[in-house]
Amino acid sequence: MLEIKNLHVKIAEEDKPILKGIDLVVPKGEVHAIMGPNGSGKSTLAYVLAGRDDYAVTEGDILWNGESILEMAPDERAAAGVFLAFQYPMEIPGVAGLTFLRTATNAVRRKRGQEELTTPEFMKLVKQKAGELSIDVEMLKRPVNVGFSGGEKKRSEILQMALLEPTLCVLDETDSGLDIDALKVVSEGVNALRSPERAMLVITHYQRLLNHIVPDKVHVLAQGRIQRSGGKELALELEKSGYAEFGEKAA
Amino acid sequence: MTVAVMKTKAEQSFAEGFNEMRATLPGSAAVREAREGAARRFEELGLPHRRIEEWKYTDLRSAVKEALPARTGDKLAMTIADVIVAIGPLAQIDAHRIVFVNGAHRPDLSSRGSLAGLEVESLASALEDAQATESALSGFAGQESNAVLALNTAYMSDGAVVRVHAEAELEKPLLLVNIRAGAQPCFAAVRNVLEVGAKASARIVEAFVSLPGAASDGQINTATQISVGDDARLTHVKIAADDGSAVTHLANWIARLGKACEYRGFQLTQGINLARNQIQVVFDGEDAKLDLSGVFLGRGGDHVDTTLVVDHAVPGCESRELFKAVLDDHSRGIFQGKIIVQSVAQKTDGKQMSQALLLSPDAEFDSKPELEIFADDVVCGHGATCAELDKDLLFYCQSRGIPTDVARVLLIESFIGEAVALVEDEAINEALMGFARGWLSK
Repeated sequence: MLEIKNLHVKIAEEDKPILKGIDLVVPKGEVHAIMGPNGSGKSTLAYVLAGRDDYAVTEGDILWNGESILEMAPDERAAAGVFLAFQYPMEIPGVAGLTFLRTATNAVRRKRGQEELTTPEFMKLVKQKAGELSIDVEMLKRPVNVGFSGGEKKRSEILQMALLEPTLCVLDETDSGLDIDALKVVSEGVNALRSPERAMLVITHYQRLLNHIVPDKVHVLAQGRIQRSGGKELALELEKSGYAEFGEKAA
Repeated sequence: MTVAVMKTKAEQSFAEGFNEMRATLPGSAAVREAREGAARRFEELGLPHRRIEEWKYTDLRSAVKEALPARTGDKLAMTIADVIVAIGPLAQIDAHRIVFVNGAHRPDLSSRGSLAGLEVESLASALEDAQATESALSGFAGQESNAVLALNTAYMSDGAVVRVHAEAELEKPLLLVNIRAGAQPCFAAVRNVLEVGAKASARIVEAFVSLPGAASDGQINTATQISVGDDARLTHVKIAADDGSAVTHLANWIARLGKACEYRGFQLTQGINLARNQIQVVFDGEDAKLDLSGVFLGRGGDHVDTTLVVDHAVPGCESRELFKAVLDDHSRGIFQGKIIVQSVAQKTDGKQMSQALLLSPDAEFDSKPELEIFADDVVCGHGATCAELDKDLLFYCQSRGIPTDVARVLLIESFIGEAVALVEDEAINEALMGFARGWLSK
C-alpha cells in the first residue's frame, strides 16, 4: 500500500514550493488516477516517488508497504518495487536496449534476493514480453530508445515495467504523444500488469487514457494539493467542466 | 648571436646515455651514421617545450625530469604465461604474436611459424641489412624538427619490420606486443615498420603494456612507419595501457596512403601518466579513405595528448577523425587535429570530431582543431564537445534499478563505445572495451 502523508516538496535549489501537503492512499490491487491542469505538480509527484534529487521533501512522508522510502536511492526504490514510466523516456546512445534491459532486470533481481537470469532465460522472457507489446526484438538490439517514435518509446517503457515486475507503478502522462492505436497497445500492456499485488498511479491530463485503463479512483491535483477525490465518473465530469473550479485556468 | 640554451638534466642524460651505449646498438655503418645524426639533431633541438606551437599544451622539457637508462639485450626470465597476463583482454584474440620485452625482441615468447602472405623480421636484425635499413628509415623525411622521433632514431633498439605481400589477406591479426617488465625502471625505444602491399588486407595491433611487478616508472618512445599500398586495407590499432604510476609514452605514427586504399587507425591510451600520441598521415594516391579514431582515459594527474596532421595532398580522398576523452580527477586531455587540404586536393571530404567527458570539476580538456584548406571544391568540417555525465540519463538508469556506479560505467562505456566501434572488428573491439572496463573498475 502506498501512503503519501502531508507531502510538501520544493525544487531543491529554489524556495518555490510545488507540492503543498498531499495526502493520498493507494491500496494494492487498485489503480488510482491523478488528473490536473498543467503545472499542478503531477510530474513532480511522479519524480519524487521515484527519488529524483532535483526535488527536496520539506515535510511529510511517503510510505510503501509501511516503510518510508524517502531516504532510499532511486535504484533501491526500484528494487523495493517502485517503477516510474517516464513522460519523456530517455534515449541512451551507445547502450544496446537488450544490454540495458538485462542489466536493469538482473540488478533488481539481485537486490530482491532472486537468482539472476542467464542469457537464454532472459532472451526467452524478453521475447515473450516484447511480443505481447508488439515490440520487435530486433529493435531492442539498437541503442535504448534512439530513433524510436513516440509510441515505440512508450511501449518500451511498458516493456521495462513488465520485466522489472514492480509492485508500485507510476505512469506519468503515458498517453502523451500517442495516437489512438498506440494508446490501445500501451493500455493493454498496462492492464495486463494489473494484479491484486500491484498498486498503480496513473497521471494524466486527459480523460481519454482512462477509457482504456479504468481507474478505481480519481484524484484532482491542483495548486499542489489533492482538491477532490471520487470514482471513475469524476474523470468524465472533469472532461466537461475543466479544471476551472480548482482555481486554474482552462488548459 | 646564438644563445646557448641550458640543457635540462634529462636532455643531458639522454645525450650521455647515447654516447655510452651507441656501440652496443644494432645496425650497419649506415645505421650508426643515421643514429649519430639523429643524436646531434636531438641535442640541437632538445626536448620540445611550450613555446613551440604544437607543444604548447605538453611541455616535455619540464615534464620529463630525467632520462631512465636504456637497456639492450636484457633477457628477463619470462614465460608465455606472463605474456598472457600482461596482454590481458588481447589474449582472447586468435592472433599471431610477436613479443618484445623492454625494447628487445623475444622469439621465445612469440608465436611460432608464420602466416601466409606475411613476413616479420626483428628490426635489430633488419638494420644489419642495407635495403631493409633504407626502408626502415625512409619514411621519416620531413620530420627533421621532430625531436621525439630523433631520439627514437638514435636509440631504437628493436621492433618489427612487417611486410604484407601484395594481394595477401592475413587470416589472423598480427599482434606486436611490447611489455615493460622488471623492477628496474628503463627507457625503451621501439620502431615498427609496417608495409602493406597493393590489394592486401591486414589487421595489426601494437600493444604497450606492463607486467605486474614492473617498476612504477618507465619511458617508452615508439615510432611506427606505415605504408598502405594501392587498394589495400589496413586496420591498425595501438593500445597503451599501463599500471605504473609514472609512465611516459611518446609515440609517432607516420603513414602514407596509396591510391584507393582504406586505412583504419585507432589508439587507446589509459593508465599512462604522460602520453603524447602524434599521428601524421599523408594521402599519396587518389580516392583513399582514412578513418582515425581513439579513446584516452585519464585520472589522477594523467596528461594525455593526441596531436594529428592529415595531409590531403591529392584529390578525392576522404578522412574521418573521432577522438573521445574521459577525464577524472585533475587529469588533462589534449586533442590537436590539423587537416591540410592542398590546392590540388579537390573533392576532399574531411570531418573531424573530438569529445570529452569530464568526470571531475578539476579535469581539463583542450581541443585545437585546425583546417588549412587551399582547394575550393571540398567538404570539410570539425567539431568539439566537452560535457559531464548526463544527470537525466543517470537518473533514468537508476530508476530502473541500476546502481549509480554501474550506471556511470554503462554511460561511460557507451560514450567511448562509439569510437571503438569504428575499428569494425568484433574481437579487437571486445578487447579494447575489455581494457577500458578494466580501467573503469579501478
